[in-house]
Amino acid sequence: MSRLTLEGVTRRFGGLVAVDDVSFEVPTEGVTAVIGPNGAGKTTLFNLISGALPPSAGRIVFEGQDITGRPPAKIAAAGLVRTFQLVKLFEDLSVLDNVKVGCHLQGKAGLFAALLRPASARREEATVEARARDMLAFAGLSAFADEPASGLPYGRQRMLELARAMAAGPKLILLDEPAAGLNTEESAALARIIRRIADEGTSVLLIEHDMTLVMNTADRVVVVDFGRKIAQGTPAQVRANPAVIAAYLGTGKPAANDAATQEAAHG
Amino acid sequence: MADWSYIPQVLVSGLGIGCVYGLIGIGFCVIYNASGIVNFAQGAFVMLGGMITQVLFSRSGVPLPVAALIAIAAVAVLGVAIERVVVRPLWNRKATMFVMILATLAAQIVIERLTLIAVGDQPKTLPVFTDRPPLMIGSVAIGYQLIWIVGGSLAIVGLLAAFFSLTKTGKAMRACSINREAAALQGIPVSRMLALAFALSAALGAIAGILITPTQYTAFNVGVPFAISGFIAAIVGGFGRPFGAFLGGLLLGLLQALAIVGFGAGLKNVAALSVLLLFLFIRPSGILGAAK
Amino acid sequence: MTISPAITSPERRPPRLVGLLPWLFAVAVVGYAMVVGGYAATVVSFALIYAVFVTGLNLFMGFAAQVSFGQNAFAAIGGYGSAVLTATYGWSPLPAMVLGIAAALLAAAIVGFPALRLKGHYLAMGTLAIGLITYEITVEWQSVTQGYLGISGIPPFGIGPYEVTSDRGQLIMLALVVAACAFAAARIRRSRFGRALSAVAGSEEAATALGIDVSRYKLMAFLLSAGFAALAGSLFVHVVGYVSPEVFGLHMVIVTFTMLYVGGIGTVAGPLVGALIVSLLPETFRAFKDYQDLAYGAALILLLIYAPRGLASLFSPRGRS
Repeated sequence: MSRLTLEGVTRRFGGLVAVDDVSFEVPTEGVTAVIGPNGAGKTTLFNLISGALPPSAGRIVFEGQDITGRPPAKIAAAGLVRTFQLVKLFEDLSVLDNVKVGCHLQGKAGLFAALLRPASARREEATVEARARDMLAFAGLSAFADEPASGLPYGRQRMLELARAMAAGPKLILLDEPAAGLNTEESAALARIIRRIADEGTSVLLIEHDMTLVMNTADRVVVVDFGRKIAQGTPAQVRANPAVIAAYLGTGKPAANDAATQEAAHG
Repeated sequence: MADWSYIPQVLVSGLGIGCVYGLIGIGFCVIYNASGIVNFAQGAFVMLGGMITQVLFSRSGVPLPVAALIAIAAVAVLGVAIERVVVRPLWNRKATMFVMILATLAAQIVIERLTLIAVGDQPKTLPVFTDRPPLMIGSVAIGYQLIWIVGGSLAIVGLLAAFFSLTKTGKAMRACSINREAAALQGIPVSRMLALAFALSAALGAIAGILITPTQYTAFNVGVPFAISGFIAAIVGGFGRPFGAFLGGLLLGLLQALAIVGFGAGLKNVAALSVLLLFLFIRPSGILGAAK
Repeated sequence: MTISPAITSPERRPPRLVGLLPWLFAVAVVGYAMVVGGYAATVVSFALIYAVFVTGLNLFMGFAAQVSFGQNAFAAIGGYGSAVLTATYGWSPLPAMVLGIAAALLAAAIVGFPALRLKGHYLAMGTLAIGLITYEITVEWQSVTQGYLGISGIPPFGIGPYEVTSDRGQLIMLALVVAACAFAAARIRRSRFGRALSAVAGSEEAATALGIDVSRYKLMAFLLSAGFAALAGSLFVHVVGYVSPEVFGLHMVIVTFTMLYVGGIGTVAGPLVGALIVSLLPETFRAFKDYQDLAYGAALILLLIYAPRGLASLFSPRGRS
């Protein structure tokens, strides 16, 4: 069964076609990765799916509902939550409070609940607190709960953003280059967490440049270049696909080994 | 209801005040283009232009043209001082746009209050530059001061156009407004451009203040209303377009003159501010579309 | 002014003693005024009224990191609402205040909807214009506001037959109101609602991605802030017994921003501390009345440059720099 379906999604900026007639499906299970050279239109594609940009043409269906052109907050409320390539934490809040904001969709307390604190609001707050602490434990951040978010080292900021997004209880989580700026060790820890997220039932769609991460975590890979989908399949299939190798290395070059592919992907 | 037979006369006087708003609006754009800052102390320059000229002329007996030149130079120096003392430290700290606006608004208040302490709260005026009976065109009287205002403003606009398109410094300022980082890479001293923009903008404000004072009056607190009118002119013209701002000023002057006929002088500020809100809410990019 | 220490700490952990200092300072100042009475009580009363206004301003500008130079408009609507209904139409103060606040909220909803879509200098100037238009209207709509003359003979606040007329009585009433406002701000800070405001302040994009309706929360914060402003305006006219347009002019904008920055933007105690300090300091230089706004302006510039988080942030239990 498919969680997310893209049908002929296209986005133009003036004369430039950033995303050109892209169709693919994200199944309920496992991790799907979108890869492609820099400027291939991956981030634009994410912005289209998360509602930050409306597509010029095509349809995006999430859980059987057409979400094309819906405002981003509504799309998040439907269970499709994203993270950002550049970490966007709420710097004035503590690590724990950041995750509590992630629980926003789980609660409904408003202004009057804030002021009067009826029993229902206190219960809700207790649930949120417990959930947020669970998420911190999941991301290995329990020790930092009361620190200001801005004080975390970069790698942990990335983890916090992931924990915050998971607190929203998404059915599908979009990760925009989650390994960017992480060292090898942190990247490996991230791969394990992404696998766990997928194993616990949340579909994962990620954009990534780090080929090690993609090859270790992804069940399926979609390759885009110049805004078009040029290949899709398992990591092994994609790695052997001549069109993909050409896209990464330029046409006319012989097929390259893994290391070259990886290097090109970083470049 | 008002007597609409004055309309041509009213429009003529609206044209004069409109030129002044236009000059102030250009002042906003010059600083905005050089730095991305909206300088809410712009009104202080206008007030001080008229005020310094008046004090030199009537207290110290300095001839009017000399007094005016000294005032323009003094206000330009003040502009640089504000840039150095208030704007530069915040700029270096990469303060938010809001903090910058608040700081320049506070600078406006400080200058206003210093002026109040120095010269008192009595309104003052200057004699008209050419003391002759107005020209009559049909039933419309055109005062010589109006000719000074319109002629002076057009001359300034012409000089500015030449400055921006012909001189090296003017071209460098334009480059900054298009892309500051790229301009810096080309070796343009961006921070000196910022000081220059404040000097130029302050001088423009001072000229506007000197031109308008003979037809009205000046007092320590006239700055804010002028600044707001200038800002409206800049918004109507599309923020960051100096010549759009001048047109915006003319339009605002004419509209305000009509509003005075229609609703009485008391509501002219309400009318101008309503034009502002209307533009902000409906077409914030102005008539010509905002720069960038 | 008895506020439980737990409130000053945004986290559920034992507050450090320094977190209490701003409240102790406030209690000491109000207590002193209560004992001395007379002129000191009047000055502190004004400071407390400003504290209500600045607490509201802080919800919008500190918690949600939005910008408004025009909240004085809502103080004017609340103040004139109270003044006209009581002095001209003989209403009693409480319903007049309620109606004044309701009118301010209505006005805030009408202008807030389009204004909050603006950004940067457009938002700054748009809100400034809203304040100035309101000022012009209070000057020009003479049949209702009596223009520059102002409205006098406004009755003191009271409920039923009991009126708060003495200096000390007013001080107690205002202290209770301020305590309630600070309490509300503290509760908002630590709630789902308050966290959503902080999220909007931190990153609108990230807040949206977590399902927060950013424009709705901005509008709510704006309305809250307008409500506090209207309450302050109404309190002012009932305490002073007189209102004129100057009360709610540009002066109010500068003074309240100075208070917000002196006390510390975004903190719970900041507005009260800032209002007290900024109101009391000029009293020590009372001979130089002309210098007051000069001092406010200069102090504001210095604060923005050298202590952008305000004085109270030095005592913040969160230890934010």
